[in-house]
Amino acid sequence: MDESPRSHELFLFLASTAHDMKNSISVLSGTLERLLADAPPAAPAYPHMAHMLNQTRRLNNQLMQLLALYKQVGTSAYPFDMQPIEVGQLADQVAASERVLLQSCGVALEIDCDPRLVWHLDEDLIIGVLAHAIHNAANYTRDRVRLAIAEVDGCLELRVEDNGPGYPQAMLEAGVAAMTGLGGVNFLTNSAGLGLYFSSEVAKMHRHRGRHGTLGLENGGAYGGGCFVLTLP
Amino acid sequence: MNSIMSLLTVSSPPSEVDWASKSYLVVDDFAGVRQLLREGLRSLGAKNIDQATSGGEAMGLLGRTRYDVVLCDHNLGEGKDGQQVLEEARLRNLVNPSTVWIMVSAEKSIESVMGAAEHQPDAYLIKPITEGVLLARLNRVWKKKQVFRLIDQAYAEKDYLRAARLCDEQIDASGVHEIELLRMKACLMERSGEFEQARNAYERVLAQREYQWARAGLAKLRMANGEYEQARQIFEGVIAENPHYIDAYDQLAATCQAMGQFEEACAVLERAARLSPNSVPRQRNLGTLAFKLGNIALAEKAFRKCVAVGEYSVRKTPDAYFGMARVCGLKNDPKEALQWLAAAQREFGGEQGSLGLRSKTTEGLVYHESGDYRRARRSGDELEALLRERADRPDIETCMEMATLLFAVGVRDAPVDLLCYVIRNNHDHAVLLDEVQKLFEKARMSEEGEELIRESCKQASDLMNQGVLLWKTGKLREAVEWMRNARVALPNNQRILFNAAQVLVSHMQKYGFDAALAQEANEVLLQVDRLQPGQQRFAQLMEQLVALMPKEEAPAGGAQQAA
Repeated sequence: MDESPRSHELFLFLASTAHDMKNSISVLSGTLERLLADAPPAAPAYPHMAHMLNQTRRLNNQLMQLLALYKQVGTSAYPFDMQPIEVGQLADQVAASERVLLQSCGVALEIDCDPRLVWHLDEDLIIGVLAHAIHNAANYTRDRVRLAIAEVDGCLELRVEDNGPGYPQAMLEAGVAAMTGLGGVNFLTNSAGLGLYFSSEVAKMHRHRGRHGTLGLENGGAYGGGCFVLTLP
Repeated sequence: MNSIMSLLTVSSPPSEVDWASKSYLVVDDFAGVRQLLREGLRSLGAKNIDQATSGGEAMGLLGRTRYDVVLCDHNLGEGKDGQQVLEEARLRNLVNPSTVWIMVSAEKSIESVMGAAEHQPDAYLIKPITEGVLLARLNRVWKKKQVFRLIDQAYAEKDYLRAARLCDEQIDASGVHEIELLRMKACLMERSGEFEQARNAYERVLAQREYQWARAGLAKLRMANGEYEQARQIFEGVIAENPHYIDAYDQLAATCQAMGQFEEACAVLERAARLSPNSVPRQRNLGTLAFKLGNIALAEKAFRKCVAVGEYSVRKTPDAYFGMARVCGLKNDPKEALQWLAAAQREFGGEQGSLGLRSKTTEGLVYHESGDYRRARRSGDELEALLRERADRPDIETCMEMATLLFAVGVRDAPVDLLCYVIRNNHDHAVLLDEVQKLFEKARMSEEGEELIRESCKQASDLMNQGVLLWKTGKLREAVEWMRNARVALPNNQRILFNAAQVLVSHMQKYGFDAALAQEANEVLLQVDRLQPGQQRFAQLMEQLVALMPKEEAPAGGAQQAA
């Protein structure tokens, strides 16, 4: 890293600005959630507020992902923080953070997991990945999203499924690219690129006995729509 | 098994804890966030919410009220940061063990990774905070505190062996808490000097997952066992795997120092200080080591940083001020050196018992090193006068430093007395005996020194043996009295202290519990644990002592069970 005084100054500005932006977005999204929770869905402003919340959360997810990438998520430089976590608590937190957003766009969330199952993972990163996936699914589904978490072949499989039309071919390929690190161009042109890249880096950071986590996109699942599949060793 | 949105919290029913009746403190410098958090808490039913906009204001409120929950931003602008508020609140006992402390931050920091900092909050929250995540973490911390309540209580009483048994009772049936219970057990066993059992606990964790703290724990055990090379390799492996696991750097530096590799130790600390600069003890260690190695520029940088970091920290230390004075002395600027000594007096004057002695010693060393032997001699004479005024003597290091100065300026009797005091209190510490002998040699007193050391050791062991004889022959009352006097003569001799505690415990085992004797034994044991933590005999005697205590009606702090 270049340690000239100027780059250090720039770094301090970036850090404090990111901190400020986080605060602003927190307040924006918190206020919108409160307004939406109190407003009757028939109110004329309701769909506008729902749209605002949707965009605010999108901004937040992207800022969070950019900050994590800036901190070199996916490499050993990132302060990775593994802990034993109950799967039920993980699902609850994801559901709670997406509750108002999903309600406001009329999407039901179904959770399917053994709440007592314990896994070792970086909770904040995984919540970030799942929140992003659910937010994304909410934009493409018809009216339902399913979060299913289960142990499959010694790994933890976390699936976010919707009952929309499914991923187009280009997205399925972007999913493969995210994992293999090939076809970076696809990423940059694809609007979902950042989220997928972030998610795949988070997956890779989870390692155990020579295996590491993977990310996959597929069509089908319980609802026959798009499926976002994160697998952790 | 399926549940739809509206039945959100299947796995943790919200009625579990009565969050509405709790008292809250919200600390954030940004008004918008304070309001957001307050509204979030109100939606849990909370009515009793205080708020602070700075670390200083938070300390004021914490001094007046015992909060059930503290939500504190890490970044608080000017003044104390969130971590410093937490450290000070814990060290000054302004929060209960049951208080839930949640640290809020804009992003994941290396200091927040589990096991990296000494004083950890109960949970971290990354912004933006949603009510659901806040409630989930509050409930989780609460549940964990329930699981650990009795263990923490035994730990606070320093009855480590009982605490470890309580861990054992829960480990198998604990699910999500298993890893944390094993970690606690390993820590307890380490403090009890039961290294094999500590190793087993760490190995059990590693059999499940490669937790870096468990790997580093194994290395610490190697170190305690004198296997420095093996410890070094493990610490280096941990750092390669996770370059932000700061604790491993500090431990690695200590290992290198134990092996006499001071250059390496210094380089390791320098790296750690670059990654995580805001630690008072780390900057102090770096400064001290760099000074010892003659790297004055690095020592100055570290001591200055140590003073700056300490400005708002309860862990600020006079060591950095004394270090700066020595640095100035070597840079031939005794005037600035004296200013640092005056600053130390101003900042720490009221609290540190040995501050005056250390200040005077440093002053003398500064003059001596800058070639002003006349003033150095005057400082030495003044130090001698200070020593005559008091009966107690400070820690070994300060005694050695005082003796060094006094010899250097040509005083004889006072340094000899100091060194004999050190020997009598550490008569079975071979490394220290060598160091003392070296000081005698430097003062051209080789033969005399040897004789003095031999004599001092004999005095200590005679005192001890007489006590043991009384104890073995069942004269417990006399043994208690004898050891009490021995302790007055040798207040910091660990073997005397252990034996004193032993006869007190034996006395109570034979003649029944006695509150005054129990109190005395407790003080003696705490003293020996301060001198050198992690001794088997400490844990065993503490367990025997606690077992003698009459059973209490209810555990202290009934508020903990209010839910």
